[in-house]
Amino acid sequence: MNTDRLATAWAIFQGLLLESLPFLLLGVLIAGLARWLVPQGAWIDRLPKNPVLAPITGALMGFALPACECGNVPVARRLLASGAPLGTAFGFLFAAPVLNPIVLASTWAAFPDQRWLLLARPFGAFLLAVLLSLLLTQLSETQLLERALLSERRMSQPLSNLGLLDRSSGLIGTPLDSKAATTPQRVSLGGVVDQSSREFLDLLALLVLGCVIAALVQTWLPRSWLLAVGSAPTLSILALMVLAIVVSVCSSVDAFLALGFAAQVTPGALLAFLLLGPVVDLKLAGLFTVLLTPKAIAITATAASLGVLLIGQWVNLWQL
Amino acid sequence: MNRGVLLLLWGWIVIWSVYSGRLDLLLRGVFHSLVGASGVALILAGIVVFHRSIGRRERTPFTWLAGAVVALLVLAIPPNPSFSDLASTRPEGLPEPPDLAFVLPPEQRTLTEWVRLLRAQPDPDLVEGNPVNISGFVLKRQDEPPQIARLTVRCCLADATPAGLPVAWPDDANPKTNDWLSIQGRMAVETRQGVRTAVVVPETITSIPRPERPLEP
Repeated sequence: MNTDRLATAWAIFQGLLLESLPFLLLGVLIAGLARWLVPQGAWIDRLPKNPVLAPITGALMGFALPACECGNVPVARRLLASGAPLGTAFGFLFAAPVLNPIVLASTWAAFPDQRWLLLARPFGAFLLAVLLSLLLTQLSETQLLERALLSERRMSQPLSNLGLLDRSSGLIGTPLDSKAATTPQRVSLGGVVDQSSREFLDLLALLVLGCVIAALVQTWLPRSWLLAVGSAPTLSILALMVLAIVVSVCSSVDAFLALGFAAQVTPGALLAFLLLGPVVDLKLAGLFTVLLTPKAIAITATAASLGVLLIGQWVNLWQL
Repeated sequence: MNRGVLLLLWGWIVIWSVYSGRLDLLLRGVFHSLVGASGVALILAGIVVFHRSIGRRERTPFTWLAGAVVALLVLAIPPNPSFSDLASTRPEGLPEPPDLAFVLPPEQRTLTEWVRLLRAQPDPDLVEGNPVNISGFVLKRQDEPPQIARLTVRCCLADATPAGLPVAWPDDANPKTNDWLSIQGRMAVETRQGVRTAVVVPETITSIPRPERPLEP
């Protein structure tokens, strides 16, 4: 094996990991602080459960957390574990990596002369998040959520919210003590650090795995192949979607990366790169396993790719 | 392994990466303080968790141990990318042309600034005869004469993009891929593959070690 290339892959891996790690830590910190400052259930209960309003609320919550997708995963997990409506958590998970002040500012800084992109990116991310949320909530929680998360979520939900088949333990027929299940409990700061550190180490292992895969694919897949089809309307979108999945850089900086090839690709392909990366990439593939079942991850990746392809095609029809 | 120890290990690796100068090879400068702060936060969390877990037994999942092994490997094997190899898989980038390149006297322009200037103002005759004082690594692409190049980075090595300048190498020069060179000379105009191109004509070529901050924004 070419040792030069191996050394390069190792360096790319370290670069990706060290760049993503602060954002992951920030997400875990915010999730931990939210658990400490706001008693469980106090505000979660007020979130809308309507299938359309819930993802919209979740998407707008992105403004409160200016982090990229690595930071959003632990917060979304905390939301789900605390019993938040699925739609809100998914809306937040998929839209917040774009709909947050830092990412919007970096997109504006990178493309000050392309005003359509400054509107199309947040709008497209919003649309995609609502679409994915509506689609995923068609599945039952058992089919949707990773097993440990599902158990955690059920501990914070009143028993009456669960179907008889969903109750894997407990005595059927015992009186429901729904109040006890939702009574807000103050967690100590030490307890929060304890739990957050576990969460961080779990996610870090998956981030490492994602970075390894991204570095290997990136080193052995020449980017010039992908950009060679840059001017073809549909192929360019597909190529840039693959690039977004492979490169795996955080959404807070991907606009600057896109600037490097903006002149070589179609506008729809450029938007597709900026929309797909924050929702699906190799680095995220590992992180999502703490939230969703493999089936739900596959549905997310497929639906997000199709949605982005359609948005990109539409933009190319309109812009070219 | 104790959870507190694992956090301390990761914190140490992050802080070590900042202070040993490794980050200069991996990330753009604006992210260094953020990475350093996360290292400090991990050390503090590690101390709290270590203190709380004294006397308690806890199972250590395999994934944490695997992460710790990778952490030790990161500490033991410093990054040593082949810039030329990295550049060979990437198309030439189009760095945004800041006005600065036009303002600076020619001999103070870095290699990247020269590339930006020539892309923004492609008429090579305008720079003919300008003094050049640049440094970079030797980049060999297939079917092309060696160039002198730098990598520009907007985030981390994952998005590194090469920016290269053609050189009219003297007959006795033998540029080796990945070697770092400092070149003083002048800009001249040559016709290469039917196109009038600005090329660097070296007067002195000095071999230099890789700079501490080899990546340019």
